[in-house]
Amino acid sequence: MHFSEFWNDIGELTVTGLSQGSIYALFALGYTLVYGLLRLINFAHSEVFMVGSFAAVGTWKALGLDQNSQTPVLPVVLLLLVAALLVAALASGATALLVELVAYRPLRHRNAPPLAFLITAIGASVVLSEFVGILTHRRPQGVPPLVEPRPLVTIAGTQITNLQVGTIALALVAMFGLDVFIHRSRWGRGIRSVSQDPTTAALMGVNRSQVISLVFLLGGLMAGVAAVMYDLKIGGTRYDAGFALGVKAFTAAVLGGIGNLRGALLGGLCLGLAENYGAGVFGTEWHDVVAFALLVVVLMFRPTGLLGESLGRARA
Amino acid sequence: MLLELRDVSARYGRIQALHGVDLHVDEGEVVALIGANGAGKTTIMRAVSGLLPVSTGSVIFEGQDITRLRADRRVARGISLSPEGRGIFPGMSVKENLDMGAYTRRDRAGIAADLERMLTLFPRLRERLGQPGGTLSGGEQQMLAVARSLMSRPKVLLLDEPSMGLAPKLIAQIFDIVVEIRRQGTTILLVEQNAHQALWVADRGYVLETGSVVRTGSGEDLLDDSSVKAAYLGVA
Repeated sequence: MHFSEFWNDIGELTVTGLSQGSIYALFALGYTLVYGLLRLINFAHSEVFMVGSFAAVGTWKALGLDQNSQTPVLPVVLLLLVAALLVAALASGATALLVELVAYRPLRHRNAPPLAFLITAIGASVVLSEFVGILTHRRPQGVPPLVEPRPLVTIAGTQITNLQVGTIALALVAMFGLDVFIHRSRWGRGIRSVSQDPTTAALMGVNRSQVISLVFLLGGLMAGVAAVMYDLKIGGTRYDAGFALGVKAFTAAVLGGIGNLRGALLGGLCLGLAENYGAGVFGTEWHDVVAFALLVVVLMFRPTGLLGESLGRARA
Repeated sequence: MLLELRDVSARYGRIQALHGVDLHVDEGEVVALIGANGAGKTTIMRAVSGLLPVSTGSVIFEGQDITRLRADRRVARGISLSPEGRGIFPGMSVKENLDMGAYTRRDRAGIAADLERMLTLFPRLRERLGQPGGTLSGGEQQMLAVARSLMSRPKVLLLDEPSMGLAPKLIAQIFDIVVEIRRQGTTILLVEQNAHQALWVADRGYVLETGSVVRTGSGEDLLDDSSVKAAYLGVA
């Protein structure tokens, strides 16, 4: 136990936890959206994320930058980030749509039992990660040094880097945008209607297949944004990058209350904090033990997660 | 003829629910389907709205065969079902439920005008506009279900058991509204256990027994028919 160090480091641990948690939260949205609509765990969502992380690296490479390049001037960096965010979000969104079309839709049309979906989900996940693994010879891909982490602001003696501020802010903006879309737009109403009552939704003229595609697309777009943040934080990506992080993101979704959008945000941030506090008290190697112990404890007392409820029933 | 069922059969798994049903609804009419539980009334509504695929026969709407058309596409064509059990979205406000009724429409001004028309027709809904649908009373939910169906501006409104589970005073109110909706020009196909009141407001009726039409005629004739009286109107 390192309590005195923990108290010294608590500011830094909090900031690191929140920025890590933002990535979990954005990633978790894809699990929670699909689950809220279809009661399906889309295991291939981890690969949706991984594809986004490669798409960002590919974009930078195509624009002539690799891990040995110099950091360009700020306006160029911003353009490069926007370009990578767009390409990664679209690549992840397209991958999610493809997974739905190939792995789930044919089963749905045949009224397959839930276990069949589980198997095709795992199958799609393995196929995608192996495919990228073979293409890249299982070598990690380096990210150009676009954002040199340096302190941007200091709050109560804790320095917060530009990357951390950017990650947290972008995650909040993306989640706010998604929340408004789901709760205010006509399309969002369509999504909520299908998740609350698919039969009545059809009687209102809602095309269920279209709504399902839309939900996979939205989850993919969010995962793509998370993937760019991950690239910048880690400095690289690998064909199996989605797996370990996917387990965490899925955990965050369950922790917050799977099917609940705001639950994904809360679950992601709590998980990020728990991991980092755990690492601070017990040492870095206890990081995951603490995170999952927290999950078990929360689920014992609140089996439906912190916020409970699902996409449809959430919020009056 | 606005809507026509030609020799329609339908089944739930191995149980045949409809045996070659023929019926039609003309523009501007109110047509009632009456019969005991399990006679096939709701099954006909499901077949017309597209929720249940028919096994044989065809459904014709405005002269076009829509037998294979998906339920959500039939709404845009002008068929709207207010389902048995009401199907209110519990987590959406009354306003959002009404907006769902207009999901297939894009004419903002028309939607706003129709919303106002519904709130005039159902003043209770105006008081409850921001409240979640799940918190309404049974009668209010029924009004919401009918208003929501009308929000799609249907050419034919299908009402499945609108009086179910309501107090007598509310039942009378619902039937008044049926008459008013018809006066405003909407064609109605009505399913009711409450045969007496249904035949009273209907131009024509069909009596169903175990999935077949056994009698048809004007509302008045069926009200006077001795076998209908004995079986459905509780008069010996």
